[in-house]
Amino acid sequence: MGGSRTGQVLLMLAGLIAWAVQFTAIYGVTSTLCGRGWADATLLGMEVVPMTILSATFVTLAATAVALVWSFRSYRQAKRQPVAIVDDFISHAAVLVNGLSIVVILWHGIPAFILPACA
Amino acid sequence: MSCALAVAGCSGVQSALDPAGGDAQRIYWLTVIMTVGGTLIFLLVTGLLLYAIFAAPERRAWLGGRRTIVVGGLAFPIVVLSVLLPYGLTVMRDTDVPTPGALPIEVVGEQYWWRVRYPAEQERGEFLTANELVVPVGRPVFVSVTSADVIHSFWIPNFGGKIDMIPGRINRLNFTAERPGIYRGVCAEFCGDQHARMAFDVIALEPEAFEAWRLEQVKPAREPDLPLLARGRELFRTGGCGSCHAVRGTEANGQFGPDLTHVGSRRTIGAGQFPNNIGTLAGWIANVQHIKPDARMPSYGSLTGEDLRALAGYLESLK
Repeated sequence: MGGSRTGQVLLMLAGLIAWAVQFTAIYGVTSTLCGRGWADATLLGMEVVPMTILSATFVTLAATAVALVWSFRSYRQAKRQPVAIVDDFISHAAVLVNGLSIVVILWHGIPAFILPACA
Repeated sequence: MSCALAVAGCSGVQSALDPAGGDAQRIYWLTVIMTVGGTLIFLLVTGLLLYAIFAAPERRAWLGGRRTIVVGGLAFPIVVLSVLLPYGLTVMRDTDVPTPGALPIEVVGEQYWWRVRYPAEQERGEFLTANELVVPVGRPVFVSVTSADVIHSFWIPNFGGKIDMIPGRINRLNFTAERPGIYRGVCAEFCGDQHARMAFDVIALEPEAFEAWRLEQVKPAREPDLPLLARGRELFRTGGCGSCHAVRGTEANGQFGPDLTHVGSRRTIGAGQFPNNIGTLAGWIANVQHIKPDARMPSYGSLTGEDLRALAGYLESLK
């Protein structure tokens, strides 16, 4: 299993970091705009609130997907050769955490398609 | 027998398990699905737990296998929650949709009663009432709620979900009564010592009956037609009741307490506490601080029995 330990841990946490970024962007923008009565604010002809949710979801989803592919590669690599128990754990956890992060990011993005912006 | 009794307890004037409108119906089915699904999953997990404890080691070994963990611990919850999330959000969305042509009603929560205003609509005039919502069957109702003091919550279980009443903010709720009847709404957010005594009646009438009720409510208070009632009106005037209560058509124009123009036509008094009749009205006037401590109205226990009868009779005559 290649890469520094810091890199391995960052890869393992990549999905959670992406989720935190999506969460902060969505709640920050939505609560600010809705709280100030700017729910209908538009940018380039598109409503800012749904656009923020969709773009934050798309970007973080893409980043997590890349992290998942990468962590899966590391996992397969770790399976092929004998590695330290810590590396084995990290490679397993990275796949699991990044996979679950994709699900969670999707769950956070779903309301944008169903509920009004400031419901 | 106990099941029959339990199910019988689910119906009634204040029950989310006896929906009388579309929104309540959707919430009811969400509740049923969550409860039944949750119970089945609980039983399954409990069964597996008992199996893991008591089964022979070679028979229970599969429980610790990777496939069981991935399917039971990951795939199953993800699939279930992925289905429930859009379903629950859809119920919320449908509940919140404002409906064109809806009957507008404004409700202000106050410690510990409900100020209800029907705004003017086309040629129909506006009027105020209290502690009672009368709605037509089949027509969507659009309720705007706020609070005059602390946070309250407006909830008619038979018609839909709760909505907070927040000072300085107007929240909105839609519902449609689908069958005539008498229902009960409550304050669903602790708002003070008398929170539990802050209820209101919801009366769903056929459209013609609703229009007739509305026409009556717009009218000023009727003149007393008996000497006793005239004496009651005079007591109302000289006692200063009009500084807090309004009776349209008289000089009483107080805005602090409930509008009493048609108080006699209401089913209950004291925000759903007692049936409305001369006896309970008299008891309320004389002992309000005993019945509902911390209500803003003082007790008028110093009135003589005769005066009390006259005053209560006058109020009861305001149909």
